[in-house]
Amino acid sequence: MKILFSLLLFVSFVFAGDATIEVIKKADTIAALAVEDASQSYDDTFKLRFFKTLIADLNVLSIFNVDRHHRICEFNDGTVLVENKDMDYVLRYRLIEEDNGALSIQIKLLHKDESVYSKSYRVSKKDIYMFVSHAIAYDINEFMGEPSVAWMKRKVVFSRIVAPMKSEIVISDYTLAYQHTVLRGGFNIFPKWANKAQTAFYYTALDAKKPTLKYINIKNGQIKNIISSDGMMVCSDVRDDGKKLLLTMARNGQPDIYSYDVKSKKYKRLTSYSGIDVNGQFMGNNKIVFISSRLGYPNIFSKKLDTNEVEQMVYYGRSNSACSVHGNYIVYKARESSNAFSQNTFNLHLISTNTDFIRRLTATGINEFPRFSRDGDAIIFIKNFKRQSAIGIIRLNYNKNYLFPLKHGRLQSMDW
Amino acid sequence: MEDYSQWTGRRVFLHFFGIITQHLIFKEIDMKSIVLSSVVTALLVFTGCSSKEPAVDSKAQQSAAEEVQAVETETVSAENSVVNSNTDATAMTMAEIESKLPTVYFAFDKYDITPEMQAKIDAAAELGNTEKAKSLNVKLEGNCDEWGSDEYNFALGLKRADAVKKALVADGIDASRISMVSYGESNPVCSEHTKECWAKNRRVDFKLLP
Repeated sequence: MKILFSLLLFVSFVFAGDATIEVIKKADTIAALAVEDASQSYDDTFKLRFFKTLIADLNVLSIFNVDRHHRICEFNDGTVLVENKDMDYVLRYRLIEEDNGALSIQIKLLHKDESVYSKSYRVSKKDIYMFVSHAIAYDINEFMGEPSVAWMKRKVVFSRIVAPMKSEIVISDYTLAYQHTVLRGGFNIFPKWANKAQTAFYYTALDAKKPTLKYINIKNGQIKNIISSDGMMVCSDVRDDGKKLLLTMARNGQPDIYSYDVKSKKYKRLTSYSGIDVNGQFMGNNKIVFISSRLGYPNIFSKKLDTNEVEQMVYYGRSNSACSVHGNYIVYKARESSNAFSQNTFNLHLISTNTDFIRRLTATGINEFPRFSRDGDAIIFIKNFKRQSAIGIIRLNYNKNYLFPLKHGRLQSMDW
Repeated sequence: MEDYSQWTGRRVFLHFFGIITQHLIFKEIDMKSIVLSSVVTALLVFTGCSSKEPAVDSKAQQSAAEEVQAVETETVSAENSVVNSNTDATAMTMAEIESKLPTVYFAFDKYDITPEMQAKIDAAAELGNTEKAKSLNVKLEGNCDEWGSDEYNFALGLKRADAVKKALVADGIDASRISMVSYGESNPVCSEHTKECWAKNRRVDFKLLP
């Protein structure tokens, strides 16, 4: 018994590094869900791929304890499979390949052998199946009356370093299952969505004579030059209405934060410290939050734009070098160790400007580039661990983290 | 007096063309000798050059009888050849000078210059002020190790380039000759996951621009 207990303890420590440990604590309290596949079309490889994607999406909802067995059934059977009879919910779906190559999917959600929800989906090509999977998860979540996961349907834009001074900018879904390279060749980094509708993004071109901020309309591929600066140029934030930007520029070799008016093309310097000021983020209409080295190490500060009053926001962590803001919340990256070879170097923390409360969001590896979803429900971030990059999702309300690895290259930065 | 203000461009051209032609005919003998000596010079200059040259030469000889055009052809090709050899010489010197310029290394999370690196920058400034290098501009490329890919890391790379720039200016290099860029962690010279390797990546490189 002792051996068994210590074995269990060992197993729990091995997995304790991952924040999904929280799932185990809550496992008894959330509903059990199984998924049944009733597809007639397509080969087994594609069927299994779709099943896995759907399971991952349902897991990220964080409201079900999802059974991972791939079981085959008849779509119109009145009862659930015998293996699933103890499940609270069963999601049954059917993939249908249409004559023109389109993929059509029917789903129904069964509760106590009763169909409580059903819907059909259709996409023109089967290789964008993951967006249907995200839509199904979104709809089930809505049906269950949980806070919206609209961010699931949003696209991620990221830059990937493929060789020294060579990068690609890629648009993907939040799980990286879908990837479309928009800019290949050249040295383009720091992509940032230009509007809510995600029809265009800003990025920094470093192979121009001076670092240049460019704007690309992804509907027609048109590229516009916005502004250049010697030394450094990054679009750190885009205001909700898309009309103002916060840029880090380095006129005269001095990295400072500037606001930029998209319509009038005028810019204004907002910080003027002689060290480093970067990573400006809008907080309401009259305040910015940014990273500054004014204490001798990077930390998070805010500045009121009318009074120029600067305030230190974080009193924990020896080196806090990146942040993202939503409402009163700030998520930031803190260096945990000065030993770069330790297992635990950068972690993400969450603070509220209204309280002194600090919540640690990650536990192992190098976690950086936090970005709030537009509704503040989730945080997306980059995790680099043992030479592999992954995109991580933190569900704040459920205290759960999910990772989706990148197959090749190293993630440089991203926006959601 | 002629009233030139009423003339069209074409008329002006024809007028002056006429004057030059007249002038050249009077100077026929002189002109011929000039053309011939130019051809000889051209042959000497062009020996060992690319395959285009023989065509230019034959054209020059052929047109020696028509004095006016001969001058044009000769002058143009001679100028071209000079320009070309000049560019080559600049490129040669640039590569030569660039190979003598140092790489400046920095400590972890720092952008101040150590005495050892200061000596390297002083030597670079001395080289930059020599006659050969005076017409050249330099781009300072700031780089960081892979520890962190955020804006702060880019700013750190830039501050490193800026520190080198300030040191060069203090050594008498004109600030207008220096431009800067930061590549953050995305231009490593060493990609292993070791301390030694990271130290090699925390650097400022000198790139010469014409």
